[in-house]
Amino acid sequence: MSADEPQPDASGPYLLRLFVAGTSARSLRTVETLHGLCGTHLRDRYALEVVDIYQQPDLAQRDGVLAAPTLLRIAPPPARRITGDLSDEERVLRGLGLTASPGGADGR
Amino acid sequence: MGADEAGPDTSAQDTSAQVWRARAQDLEARLRDAEARLEESEDTLAAIRQGDFDAVVVEGPNQERLVYTLENADRPYRVLIEQIQEGAVTLGPDGVVLYCNRRLAEMLALPQERLAGQPLGRFVLPVHAETLARLLEEAKDSPVREEVAFASADGADRPVYLSLSRLERRDDRPLLCGILTDLTEQKQHIQALAEANARLLAESRERERIEEALRQSQKLEAVGQLTGGVAHDFNNLLTVIKSSTDLLKRPDLAEARRTRYVEAISDTVDRAAKLTGQLLAFARRQALKPEVFEVGAALHAVADMLDTVTGARIAVIAKVPDEPCYIRADLSQFETALINMAVNARDAMAGEGTLTLRLDGRRPMPPIRGHAGSRSSGFAAVSLTDTGAGIPPDVLLRIFEPFFTTKEVGKGTGLGLSQVFGFAKQSGGDVDVASVVGQGTTFTLYLPQVEAGPHAGHGLLPEERGPDECGLCVLVVEDNVEVGRFATQILEDLGHTTVWATNAEDALAELGKDPRRFDIVFSDVVMPGMGGIALAHQVGTLHPELPVVLTSGYSHVLAQEGAHGFDLVQKPYSVEQLSRVLRKAVTGRRASGESAGIAG
Repeated sequence: MSADEPQPDASGPYLLRLFVAGTSARSLRTVETLHGLCGTHLRDRYALEVVDIYQQPDLAQRDGVLAAPTLLRIAPPPARRITGDLSDEERVLRGLGLTASPGGADGR
Repeated sequence: MGADEAGPDTSAQDTSAQVWRARAQDLEARLRDAEARLEESEDTLAAIRQGDFDAVVVEGPNQERLVYTLENADRPYRVLIEQIQEGAVTLGPDGVVLYCNRRLAEMLALPQERLAGQPLGRFVLPVHAETLARLLEEAKDSPVREEVAFASADGADRPVYLSLSRLERRDDRPLLCGILTDLTEQKQHIQALAEANARLLAESRERERIEEALRQSQKLEAVGQLTGGVAHDFNNLLTVIKSSTDLLKRPDLAEARRTRYVEAISDTVDRAAKLTGQLLAFARRQALKPEVFEVGAALHAVADMLDTVTGARIAVIAKVPDEPCYIRADLSQFETALINMAVNARDAMAGEGTLTLRLDGRRPMPPIRGHAGSRSSGFAAVSLTDTGAGIPPDVLLRIFEPFFTTKEVGKGTGLGLSQVFGFAKQSGGDVDVASVVGQGTTFTLYLPQVEAGPHAGHGLLPEERGPDECGLCVLVVEDNVEVGRFATQILEDLGHTTVWATNAEDALAELGKDPRRFDIVFSDVVMPGMGGIALAHQVGTLHPELPVVLTSGYSHVLAQEGAHGFDLVQKPYSVEQLSRVLRKAVTGRRASGESAGIAG
């Protein structure tokens, strides 16, 4: 999250894992947002997995996820974790190590 | 904070130290406080982690306090959606899967976490892509239901029944929610049902076909048996009559014997009259006696006879060319065929009209009922044309079937035209029929035309009578008492001596006594016991010099296999025929020692 961290290789494939809780309004909205955000900033260079912690609690436990929504960046390393409100696009992009400017992340 | 400003006095220094101490104490206190609060927070987190809370208090958007129970109130509904055996899905307005249950992931054979976040359209079969897009659009206005198919990740097609409806959201665009019912099993059942149905239909069609074939073969079997049986009995009777009439012609006959012959004829005719009810003009298994004869003469003869059959109000006209036309066929069958067609014509004309018999030589045979026909002009075409009611097309197809008749019960057997058909086919020809309803019908027999051969005439070889000089000793084998009596009578009248055995076994015994006293064996074919053909073979083995002549009115064995190289005289036979065959057999055997051919 810090600016002094090395920039991940933004041209490589992103593997993101989103943990949500059932059909709650927040869960649905988060999935919708993430799908839109990835489509805009990563185009086809990403794979997004969406885990419903109700239906797949074992996956939540495996990744040490306590609450939903939580977004994990599995690849590229290092792993990153963003919890809480994911509707703030800039916060999410920062958390994923993508520059806030869509143009900057897009170009690579 | 400058120390210099306070001055160099110690009290000021003391004051400064006190301030720092106080600050340090304050910081220590705050640290202890922070540590304590951290410990509390960690305890709280641990408690949350361990599930030790039932509810949490959170701050709402307007700083109000809200209580969230961790065991959600909507849990029963959530579990219902999770456990239901239908696919359940929530879609964004653009068709992206925002939520799905486990069943949907199973239906698409995908890990569940790979489904959400993907457009549903990605998994549909390409042929249904448009349909799905339309459904997604329509569902925003009103609920939709339709069948689509998805491509399961295991390679199978997954037909589903998809129902979609709008899902309202507070403060946001509405979503779609859907239920997907797997139709795979249903489709398999429907297909299995369809296949079973098709199988049943095919089996029932096959069964009908076999039953039809069975009925047909039963008909033919009945025709064959009836005809064979009746013909056999009838020919025996005819033999008695024929022999009697032949003998009556002899000028030097004693009066007592003449009376006996006449009485025999009278009795036999009475019995024959009873048989005529069953007598069939047709049996395809009947052994034919083909002979070369002139068709024109035969046609005139039949035309003369037809006057009595058709009645006075039907004019019979015979159109015969001057040039003679010969065919090789069974004459009596030929005559029977013409009579059968004439009877048919008479009934079609309801007793009034014109019947035209016509002969044309050197004609090609046209294609008939799927048979190619023949372009060579090698056929005699014998046609009968009536001015009757005509035959409707649907009936026309069936008229040659055995037992098919449009006549009332008792008015026709349904065998007449099938005799015509059988005769034509057996003679190497065919029969054609053309009919116009209301105008009349023409039957045309096509029979292979031949050159006038040495056997031209009415089939009988010109014979000089000369049996008297033979004085043969004949072993007669005949199980029918009357036929046997007459056969021996005739042979004795012809100047031969006879020994009569009533079966083949007795005949072999007679031969065993003294074979050289016999010149010839004259045996019936159909008898109880070993029968005539086996007897003939035995005689051929035991007494190769002794000729055998067989006689029969009708025999399955003869019809199927021929006479096994033995001389054969068919019942009814004339005295002349019998004496000729006997003499031919004896002279042939004496001259060459070989078996002679079948007698004509």
